Amino acid sequence: MREPMIKPDVMRISWGPQHPMSGQTRILLDVDGERVHRIIADLGFTHRGIEKILENRTFFSGIIPVDRMAMVDTANMSIGYVTAIEKAAGIEVPERAKWIRTLVCEMSRINSHLYAFGLQAESTGYFPAVFLWTTVDREILLDLFEELTGARWSFNFFFPGGVHQDLPDGFREKVLKAVKYLRGRFKDYWGAMVENPLFENRCNGVAILEPKDALRLGATGPVLRGSGIDIDMRRDEPYDAYGDVEWEVITEDACDVMARTKVRFHEIGQALNIMEQIAQKIPDGPVKGRVNAFMRVPEGECISRVEAGRGELGFHLFTNGTGNPYRVKINSPTLRNMYVFERLAELNEVFIADIPVIINSIDPWYLDADR
Amino acid sequence: MSKISAADFVKAFQKAHPKAVKSIESTDPRRANLVVNNESFLDAAKSLRDNFGFLMPVSGGAIDYPDDNRIQMIYYLMHPSSRFMLTYRVDLNRDDPNMPSLTPVWEAMSFHEREAHEMFGIEFEDHPNMIPLLLPPEWKGGHPLLKDFKGEGKQ
Amino acid sequence: MNSNTLFAGTLTSLVQANQFSLLNIPSMIIEFLALNSKPLLQVLLLPGLGFILGFAIFAVWFERKFLARAMLRVGPYYCGGRSGVLQVFADFLKLFMKEIIIPASIDWPFFVAMPVFLSTIPSLALLLIPFDSNWVLWDVGSLSLPMFFAIMGISPLIPIFSGWASNNKYSFIGAWRVAYMYISGEISLVICAAGVAIMAGSMDLVKIVEAQRSMWFAVPQFIGFILFFLGIFIESERTPFDIPVAEVELVFGWRTEYSGILFGFTMMAEYVLFQAWTLMFVTLYLGGFNGPVIMGMPTASHIFWLLAKFMVLVVFIILLRCVFPRLRMDQMITLGWKYMTPLALLNLFFVIVMKMLGGV
Repeated sequence: MREPMIKPDVMRISWGPQHPMSGQTRILLDVDGERVHRIIADLGFTHRGIEKILENRTFFSGIIPVDRMAMVDTANMSIGYVTAIEKAAGIEVPERAKWIRTLVCEMSRINSHLYAFGLQAESTGYFPAVFLWTTVDREILLDLFEELTGARWSFNFFFPGGVHQDLPDGFREKVLKAVKYLRGRFKDYWGAMVENPLFENRCNGVAILEPKDALRLGATGPVLRGSGIDIDMRRDEPYDAYGDVEWEVITEDACDVMARTKVRFHEIGQALNIMEQIAQKIPDGPVKGRVNAFMRVPEGECISRVEAGRGELGFHLFTNGTGNPYRVKINSPTLRNMYVFERLAELNEVFIADIPVIINSIDPWYLDADR
Repeated sequence: MSKISAADFVKAFQKAHPKAVKSIESTDPRRANLVVNNESFLDAAKSLRDNFGFLMPVSGGAIDYPDDNRIQMIYYLMHPSSRFMLTYRVDLNRDDPNMPSLTPVWEAMSFHEREAHEMFGIEFEDHPNMIPLLLPPEWKGGHPLLKDFKGEGKQ
Repeated sequence: MNSNTLFAGTLTSLVQANQFSLLNIPSMIIEFLALNSKPLLQVLLLPGLGFILGFAIFAVWFERKFLARAMLRVGPYYCGGRSGVLQVFADFLKLFMKEIIIPASIDWPFFVAMPVFLSTIPSLALLLIPFDSNWVLWDVGSLSLPMFFAIMGISPLIPIFSGWASNNKYSFIGAWRVAYMYISGEISLVICAAGVAIMAGSMDLVKIVEAQRSMWFAVPQFIGFILFFLGIFIESERTPFDIPVAEVELVFGWRTEYSGILFGFTMMAEYVLFQAWTLMFVTLYLGGFNGPVIMGMPTASHIFWLLAKFMVLVVFIILLRCVFPRLRMDQMITLGWKYMTPLALLNLFFVIVMKMLGGV
């Protein structure tokens, strides 16, 4: 790789793709003793060219690659694309479909945040107890997904105009039972992670990101909200039923790794509240609008921004009157946060042992950075 | 920075930089589109950041119009207090697309300009670290997101 | 050694009586076995080969099963019925049959020799631990306590050598982390052990245990008790101090390049170190083999009490693995120099004062 030159008194370690905690990417660390002087993120290991693929597919079949941009958080990826198409084509979505979409998106968000916790706990050296607890708890959500949509991940449930199927019988009671169970587990996680003195030792005061730096470097999602800035696309650009249920935007002021972890915790709590309200108050009605699968969208462009688990996801859709989009530009949250990660070594004193903790507090999912 | 709505921003910017603007409009309370001329691109960007409060860089991308023989480079910016999104655009000649880099103004645009360079062939002047971001280092296929791209290995 | 002299006397009297013929060979073999039975038993069973290997096997199985329950799993389930006891044997057999991959650019002799030393040097130190007043395999008398620390002082050098010999950046970082950790942690342990020796009046481990007959040294020297307990974790590189082998940061620290049976040796060595230090902890602070005599067999009951205390500690230490995350290197160094060493000196001061006032 044509990477920047190594200075003479540092050692460059390649936290390469074969590493227990690097994810699907390579991170180069310039190390002097235990202190990290520079971080260089080498992305692109999972680049699939989704933007180019979408230009050659119809609108409906384009939802399939978009789902696979972040499997652990599927619904939030596809809702962005679907909302963009609906805005560009002027399609109305029935009320019940909007509520079902919100329910699935919030379940997806809980899925994504639980996965992030498990990795965060494992990155501090916590022999994978918490990671396996979260895997077990995610099974509850994945079973609900399977019952509703037929697949556990990547379910292609949304399309422009509604959702594929209505809720099956007894689903609302199952959702309420799942909410009650997860709320009970919440206390276990809080005790095991946030109140554990060694975990606090590893996470308090590590990688502080001041609010002005967070804005300037383009942070998004829990990274931004952990620095005290409340920007959340669900409130700022309401889509689906987020305007109809009661919830709050969570921010924390401590700006360090522990603040971001707490933001994710409380967002799970808020998501559980939203799920409960939806299961209780969902209106009746149809769930699919009348839409042609080979639809043509008039010429124009449209930007839609949604809040995925990792941050703000944007789709800028250019159409030219045919059945395929002309260009889809995807604004990925992880790509923005990876720039913040690179600059953290200059803003703070970072040790090698902090690197996995910091990575998992930023919670990257490299498949949506690479698209 | 105080709150300013999209429509007011459009009027204020038009008044402040009448010669730089090629076209400016606000189609939605949360969206604004701005196309500038190539010469005043960097100054208008600095004015957006300093005078109008667009501190938050969101993203950057490009789009290829082979029929008009132009590539349009789009930067997405957000106003932190008013929360509306501005798309800041400039048109480049398709045969020789080069433009000043916006990293001196918003440094987070570094990754997005690297991606635009490898996908469209746009040359950015004064970029601190122009190496490919997503494509593999042995890539020999040209620029993938151009409309006449035929695949790796075929020019 | 009274029983041995009895048997020796029989043999010499036989030889002197000149009744040496071929018919005496079976009885000579029995004489030989009976004469050397106790050392043979010690070398083969307790505290020698059988104890060390048996504990390693038991500890691996127990850790896997026990921690699996904490993680809502079941652990080994198929080999050996539902309990999975044969899984450890299966894994060792598999490791024997795997290919040992040795990269071309490493320092060959050091690389291959280090895992062997890694298990044998702590085993050597383990032979000093007394299981009964006259059940010590390596009896060096009044030098046994310093001998233990002298041998265990060599054991950090082995990961450092293997980390350097592996010619790999991750191993190199693991090697220097070992150096940092042991430098910070070991001084306080030696000072605590010195406090125990002063209170017992001797550096012989048997006499230290016998001095605790009335009260375990954990009670008057509770600071030393806690510090030495932390020291078990530091010296055997167990969580929360498994910093040199932090799997999420450095792929496997100084063990990265080892594969096949060399890897098996490094895994086993972790348990041998753990065993040696825990037994030393029990000997110094928890009364060693002291305990009420069961059924009139003093030797066997002493061995039983030592093993019982050892087992309780082993379970507790294994349980701590799944509760705590890991410390960072600079936090470990701060702990070692700012807290543990001054506290150890304070403990030593208290012990000297108590001894001078003629108390304990």
